[in-house]
Amino acid sequence: MERVEMSNEDEEEMLLKQGKDEGEQIDIQNNDGVDTLKEGDDEDFDVFRNVGQGLTGQYREMLIQYWQELINEIESTNEPNSKFQDDFKSHSLPLARIKKVMKTDEDVRMISAEAPILFAKACEIFITELTMRAWCVAESSKRRTLQKADIAEALQKSDMFDFLIDIIPRNLPQQ
Amino acid sequence: MAGEMEDVTLPRATVQKIISEILDPEFSFSKEARDMLIKSGIEFIMMLSSMASEMAENEAKKTIASEHVIQALQELEFNEFVPFLQKILVEFKGSQKVKERRDSKFKNSGLSEEELLRQQEELFRQSRSKLNQK
Repeated sequence: MERVEMSNEDEEEMLLKQGKDEGEQIDIQNNDGVDTLKEGDDEDFDVFRNVGQGLTGQYREMLIQYWQELINEIESTNEPNSKFQDDFKSHSLPLARIKKVMKTDEDVRMISAEAPILFAKACEIFITELTMRAWCVAESSKRRTLQKADIAEALQKSDMFDFLIDIIPRNLPQQ
Repeated sequence: MAGEMEDVTLPRATVQKIISEILDPEFSFSKEARDMLIKSGIEFIMMLSSMASEMAENEAKKTIASEHVIQALQELEFNEFVPFLQKILVEFKGSQKVKERRDSKFKNSGLSEEELLRQQEELFRQSRSKLNQK
């Protein structure tokens, strides 16, 4: 693993250069489904184009707002005691467990120290997103208990969940 | 080996914590649904690590590094995740440096723990007496 020689600020600037461009203009809007985030000088590439995919109305707004808040937190974290400062320390999902999951794949050999931390965070965001989407389904039926069928229905709304096709049976009967 | 894959799961309480952070208290998952959520999380990790492994291989690297994770997310079209992970990375690397500085200071002192404690007590005593002189 390479030793990083740069100062903290330089690194942050470099890593967030892309993110910062997005950050300054961040304003995800519901303009006919077109999001306004652009990344730097490249051809129009919207990092947040999949947010709220497959959803409409208030549900779409809710997802967009969630991501907007996450972005706001990034932008306000150059002060100490930011949310993200603690995030990687008190990461919820146990790193050893995550490493175990990764190693069930024989092709996975060595894992750097920070990789499981990134996986933990990504998984957390993913679970949160799926929870919100399942909630949308239950809520629209005025239910307070989220069922398997709600998750199954939520999965069908976006192709980001295609990889779960073998795990979650579709077309579950509503209870 | 195939059997092991079924056994690895995420702790229910931890996943429940993640759920509770976003869901209003009057809503809850059925037990079955929560287990399904956990399975989805596991599958997500497996898919991501498989792709990250591929990204590392593309660079002829044996170790999955953070940039491979980022690339994997992009390949899988989870681009929106990237800025947050990059932020975590920056924080992590920052704290690592602090840790290294702190650790080396301790190790290089060449003193036993008792001696260090004695020195610490001495410093406290000195600062206490300074205060009392005011």
